[in-house]
Amino acid sequence: MDNSDEQLWELFKGSGVDRDSAPHFRGRLERRLLINRCDDCGIWHHPPKPVCPACLSERISATEVSGRGSIFLTVFLHQGPPAEGVDYSAPYPVVTVELDEQPGLRYSGTVVGSPNEEVRIGCRVVLDWIDRAGAPLPVFRLAGGEAAA
Amino acid sequence: MSTARNPMRDRVAIAAAATTGFHPRNTERSQASYVAEACKAVMDQCGLTPRDVDGLCGSMPGAPVVQAMLGIPEVTWFANPMIPLGNHVAAAASAVHSGLCDVVLLYHGAYRMAWNTASALKDPFRRGLGYSDRTPPPESVAGAVGYTAWASRYIHEFGTPREHLGYVAINDRTNAMSNPAAAMRERMTMEDYLAARMIRWPLCLYDMDVAVDGADAFIVTSTERARDLKLPPVLIDAVILGMIDKNEEDQSPSLRRHGQHVTVSALRAKSDFWIDDVDVYFPYDGFSIITLNWFENAGWCEPGEAGAFIEDHWVANEDGSGRILIKGRVPVNPHGGSLSEGGTQGSGHLREAVHQLQGRAGPRQVEGAERALLTMGGFFFNAEGITLRRG
Repeated sequence: MDNSDEQLWELFKGSGVDRDSAPHFRGRLERRLLINRCDDCGIWHHPPKPVCPACLSERISATEVSGRGSIFLTVFLHQGPPAEGVDYSAPYPVVTVELDEQPGLRYSGTVVGSPNEEVRIGCRVVLDWIDRAGAPLPVFRLAGGEAAA
Repeated sequence: MSTARNPMRDRVAIAAAATTGFHPRNTERSQASYVAEACKAVMDQCGLTPRDVDGLCGSMPGAPVVQAMLGIPEVTWFANPMIPLGNHVAAAASAVHSGLCDVVLLYHGAYRMAWNTASALKDPFRRGLGYSDRTPPPESVAGAVGYTAWASRYIHEFGTPREHLGYVAINDRTNAMSNPAAAMRERMTMEDYLAARMIRWPLCLYDMDVAVDGADAFIVTSTERARDLKLPPVLIDAVILGMIDKNEEDQSPSLRRHGQHVTVSALRAKSDFWIDDVDVYFPYDGFSIITLNWFENAGWCEPGEAGAFIEDHWVANEDGSGRILIKGRVPVNPHGGSLSEGGTQGSGHLREAVHQLQGRAGPRQVEGAERALLTMGGFFFNAEGITLRRG
C-alpha cells in the first residue's frame, strides 16, 4: 500500500492524522497498534505528542502494544456520523479501553463479536482488526472475565 | 497550587446584561444580527454608545467583524476566547483591571450550527460556519461523546438511576416556564424524560443542551465606572479557569480528578464566600451529567450523592413538574439553563446571574439576592468558576 502523506491523509479522513500522529496511522496500515513511548523514561502516552509529557524528552517511539486491556468507558450510539459498516439502529458500541501496558493509558474503539448487553465497564478485551473504506480499523473483542478493579 | 491572591476582587463589574431570547429552530437571521441586537440593547441599558466602548470580547463572529458591524470607532483591546463564557469574563475583567481598556462589550451569539444538527445543515447559509465533511469516525469519544462516556462511568461507579439525570432536565424546564427568553417552555415530567429518545446511551435527548439561535451581551467595566451608569453594578469577586494535564476526554484520570476539582479549589481560595452564602447557583448543564458532578465537586454533597441531594431539595408540583430549591431557598439555573433556555455555552447563566443580583429577574427574582456562584463548563478543558456579588 502507498504510505505517502497524501495517502494517509485521505485514508484517515477526519481522524486527526498529522505529523505527530502519522506513525500511529502507518502502524494501522500494517495492523499493528502503535502507541507513543518515551525512549528515555519508558512512559507511554496517547494521543501522540511531539515530546514525552512525563519528562519532556523528544526521543519518542511509536511502539506496538499487546492490545489487551479492560473496558473503562462505554457509549452506545443511537446516531452518529455515517461510516461504512456502522449500524446505529443496533445501537453501535464505542468503548475506551485501559491498556495493560500502563495504568491510565487508554485507547477508544468499537467492540465486535458480542451482543451489546455483554459489553460492560470492567470487561477484559483483546485487539482485533477489521477493514473500513480500504483501511484496517483496530477493534476490540471480549476476552472473557472482568478486571480486578 | 491554589493561592488566595486576588487583587482584582471587586475592582471590575458587570454593568449590564441583555438578551435577544432564544429559538430552538433555524430562524431566517444571521448569527451577527442576533449579536447586533443584544449589543445594542445592552449599550442602551447603560446609556452608552459605540463611542464609549474600547474593548470587545466574544467568540463568533470575531471581534473585527463585530467592531465593523457596530461602528465602534476605536478599541484598544479585543479577544476571541474559547467557550464557555467564563473564559470571556476572565479575559475581559483582566483587560479592564490591567488598564488595557475601560469598557468591554462582551457578546455571545448562540447559533444552530451545520456541524451540530442535521436540520441546521439543511440551511445553506449555515454551511459556511465551521462545517466540514471531514468528520471524526464514530469510534471517538472526543467532544460531546466524552460526556456520555463519563456518564457511563458515573453510573457504573455509583449505580445511579436515570431519574437522577432526569431531575436536572425537569428543574431546567420548570424554571424555563417562567422565562420568556427560553426556547423550551412546555412542562416536562419524569415520565416525559424517561420516554425521550436515546441519543447516545446513557444520555437521551433531554440530557443534552438545545441548539438555539439568539444572543446575549454584557458591559464589563471598572467598578468605579459602573457606579456612574444606570443600573446597579454586579462585582466580580473571583474567576478561575481550571484544567489538568490529562485533559483529553478518554485520558482524563477519573471522576475525582479533572478540571472541576482545580476550579473549585482555586475559586474557594480566592473567593470571599462559598456555597453556604450564595443566593442562587448556576452549575453548567450542557449535559445533565455535568450538573451532577458540579453539585458534588462544589461541595453541596459527597461524590455519587448528587441525585439523592437533589431529591432532598426537590419541590414537586402537582402537575408533575418540579424544581430544586436548596434548603428551601436557593434556586438552581432559574432561567432554565442550557437544557431548556437554550445551549448558550454559559451566556444565559451569566446573564441570569447578573439580572438576579441587579434585582431585574422578573418573576424568577430571588428576594434580596446578593451573591451568586457559577460553576461553568465540563470536565476536560473548559471547567470554570465565577463568584459574583451585588455592588
